[in-house]
Amino acid sequence: MSEAVTEAAAEAALASRAPGTDPASVPGASGARQFWRRLRAQRAALVAAVVVALLLLVALAAPLLTAIEGQDPTTYHPSLIDSARGGVPVGPLGGIDGDHWLGVEPQTGRDLFARLVHGARVSLGVALAATVIQVALGVTLGIAAALGTRWVDQLLSRITDIFVALPLMIMSLALLAIVPANFPRPVLVTLVIGLLSWGNIAKVVRAQTLTLKGLDYVSAARLSGWGTRRIARRELLPGLAAPVITYAALLVPQNITVEAALSFLGVGVKPPTPSWGQMLTAADVWYQAAPQYLLLPAGALFVTVLALTVLGDGVRTALDPRAASRLRVGTGRRREHRADTAAEKETSS
Amino acid sequence: MPHRGGETANREVVIPMRQPSLIARRVAAASVSLVVAAGAAACGPEDNDAKASGSDSAPHQGGTLTVLNRNPQQDFDPARLYTSGGGKVPTLVFRTLTTRNRENGAPGTDVVPDLATDTGRPNKDATEWTYTLKEGLKYEDGTAITSADIKYGIERSFAPELSGGAPYLRDWLVGAADYQGPYKDPKGLAAIETPDSRTIVFHLNKPEGEFPYLATQTQFAPVPKAKDTGTKYEEHPVSSGPYKVVKNENDGERLTLERNTYWSAKTDAERKAYPDKIDVRSGLDSSVINQRLSASQGADATAITTDTNLGPAELAKVSGDKALAARVGTGHFGYTNYIAFNPNVKPFDDIRVRQAISYAVDRSSVVNAAGGSSLAEAATTYLPNQKSFGYEPYDLFPAGKTGDAAKARELLKQAGHPNGLTVTLTHSNSQDFETSPEIATAIQDALKKAGITVKLQGLEDNDYSDTIHDVKTEPGFFLAHWGADWPSGGPFLAPIFDGRQIVKDGANFNTGFLNDKSVNAEIDAINKLTDLDAAAKRWGALDKKIGAQALTVPLFHPVYKRLYGKDIRNIVISDWDGVLDPSQVAVK
Repeated sequence: MSEAVTEAAAEAALASRAPGTDPASVPGASGARQFWRRLRAQRAALVAAVVVALLLLVALAAPLLTAIEGQDPTTYHPSLIDSARGGVPVGPLGGIDGDHWLGVEPQTGRDLFARLVHGARVSLGVALAATVIQVALGVTLGIAAALGTRWVDQLLSRITDIFVALPLMIMSLALLAIVPANFPRPVLVTLVIGLLSWGNIAKVVRAQTLTLKGLDYVSAARLSGWGTRRIARRELLPGLAAPVITYAALLVPQNITVEAALSFLGVGVKPPTPSWGQMLTAADVWYQAAPQYLLLPAGALFVTVLALTVLGDGVRTALDPRAASRLRVGTGRRREHRADTAAEKETSS
Repeated sequence: MPHRGGETANREVVIPMRQPSLIARRVAAASVSLVVAAGAAACGPEDNDAKASGSDSAPHQGGTLTVLNRNPQQDFDPARLYTSGGGKVPTLVFRTLTTRNRENGAPGTDVVPDLATDTGRPNKDATEWTYTLKEGLKYEDGTAITSADIKYGIERSFAPELSGGAPYLRDWLVGAADYQGPYKDPKGLAAIETPDSRTIVFHLNKPEGEFPYLATQTQFAPVPKAKDTGTKYEEHPVSSGPYKVVKNENDGERLTLERNTYWSAKTDAERKAYPDKIDVRSGLDSSVINQRLSASQGADATAITTDTNLGPAELAKVSGDKALAARVGTGHFGYTNYIAFNPNVKPFDDIRVRQAISYAVDRSSVVNAAGGSSLAEAATTYLPNQKSFGYEPYDLFPAGKTGDAAKARELLKQAGHPNGLTVTLTHSNSQDFETSPEIATAIQDALKKAGITVKLQGLEDNDYSDTIHDVKTEPGFFLAHWGADWPSGGPFLAPIFDGRQIVKDGANFNTGFLNDKSVNAEIDAINKLTDLDAAAKRWGALDKKIGAQALTVPLFHPVYKRLYGKDIRNIVISDWDGVLDPSQVAVK
């Protein structure tokens, strides 16, 4: 998948540069307006954006939401589970009632709504923070490789290759196992994900920078005596925005699943801090006896990853002039199709 | 697995003793497959005692019994198996001098004669044990079983290449500490005498009133010297029991047993051996085993498992279905899960801190975390709650069902922690509901109410085991568990609380570093007793005395629940190990 993403992103980036070489069109006010217009034209992306915004809101407001519910994620409620039956929640649908909006956890009676929304903080927080690290590292090293001497380029590119080739899960497991137990786990997981998987974004950035470097406006800047840093900041970074944003939007869901997998394997955040991956681990054996226990974190993870992926795709489309033009045609067809169906309905009735 | 290899080389009595217990309990709990791989596969439990019976008429003779297991019957050689009471599958092939009592309704924790005519005749101070073999005992090829074969079987278990068994023999037999087995040292062990073909005498270097318990282990099975093929013997061990091995694939992954026609029920009161054939299939996932047993389709209808318990989620599902619930066998194995303290680490050097934690513990939430009241019973004693262990009920720091936070705070105040304190609880990251994160989290939650902030330190399984059993790395406050090699207080208390068994380099199980002369002396005194009932009473009293030190906080004793197929009859659950005995089972 990452290969495909790389290519698509690179292609989108190249396409966005190809028709015009006017640097103002990408970062300028009109560029941003155009971007929003193209993004708004995609209904799926809009819905996804709303969902992502809601999820972020829920994660940020987790303590408030649980306070409204009157619960917290760690208190045990032994009276709400049937101890003789393995600790299955008492009552229908896993103990859903006015006090416990999504029921309680088997064996402990901890509130599932509270655990789910607090779990969102870990899942989204780790994923977003890791993405920031990946983007920062990838862009810095990608530009450095493209603009540096041949020796620097060779060195950085080989290092990048090594990081691309590293099996992320195995390396993460190894690193998480050797770090002292008192190091804060969410930070550690963030660092491990962020520092290990920045290779692809660095490659995309290097390729794009090499393309940009040869363009007239960059040459003009160089001829007028600008230093490398200033060129990178003022002339190259704006041109890199499209591929980087696109790539980052697709990295977030990938990071969420990695965090979930690490927590699932028991090396993620530590109990009693909830995370979706950890909830999935505990819940996987309960799929028959208490299905909602498994469905809640699985559903939350599914919705989040889907929304972020659709949003990322929408961003890519909005930044890609060719895709955007196809999009305009598409919306027209959809409107036509709707009109046709309406007409058909009228005739049949 | 650290156990097997190291044992032979290790001469310290203590270590070996502890290791077996560790293995036995883990295997019995069916949670740690590694242990089984180490050769302990057979170790856990069998039945002895009948508590329930699914049969309405005389049990059916014939048919095929399928055994669905997670762990293979690895190293199926009587020298290498590590069993409690002779094992489950191994006991179908290997008879031993004594064995578990398996008659329906009998106290299953008792030792009864198997190949021998009685459970052994001790001399006055229990340092010499004499056995006489029954008449007419035969191997699967029709040749007679002699006392020399039993001596040879024990001797070959000393060979380094056939390690894996319990270390007791090396510790107990006179002059056996350095013995390297009959291949290197054909003269054999002078400590075992065979004056005639039916008599065997054991000379011990110290009084051991519990020798008959040890004689249930597979090392006491006869091995004909002429048929011994060394390390290859496990592929086709010569059977003395009701079944012989006809096929052993992939080192015990699939084991096919068929009737041994030379075995006679007349010489064996303990094994019923109703089915004609036993098909042991292992390498399965526990959820697959339970799913197959509950579905009971085809050959699975006549299937049992000898190593997989129902987990909490599976129990929740099974208990909602009456037909399934009727197919669950319930039993107890002598086993305790507890909190252990290292008094060399602050603040646990202060007994008041240890007592405060004892008071603050919420056993009901711990029991829930362990699978609920059907899978765990709250424990306030270190010894398991069975008579044979000498169980004497006591509750020295009564925490009630949910903990006494007020009393705990008071003790902490006296100990100079008026504002509470912060401690680290070490646990394993396995998913065994014993030393796993769920239990640790439940304790964390309970201690919070008493003003104690608990930080959790979860270690990967092997790392955890190494860390807590090394005096240099032992944490101050951790989850632990212990099971016995046989149902008595001896193998339960001695390895953990005998001060002479503190091991400085190697696996140490006396984690509380208790070295109390009166405790050590009492252990020695009880070992001299050959009246096992009298010994049990004194183990119980000793347990209570040690309990006052608050070096452990007993949490719970597990309860075993196992499913069996719908056409399984004559169910006998053993008190010895808490599970169904395949030697009693009939298939419809």
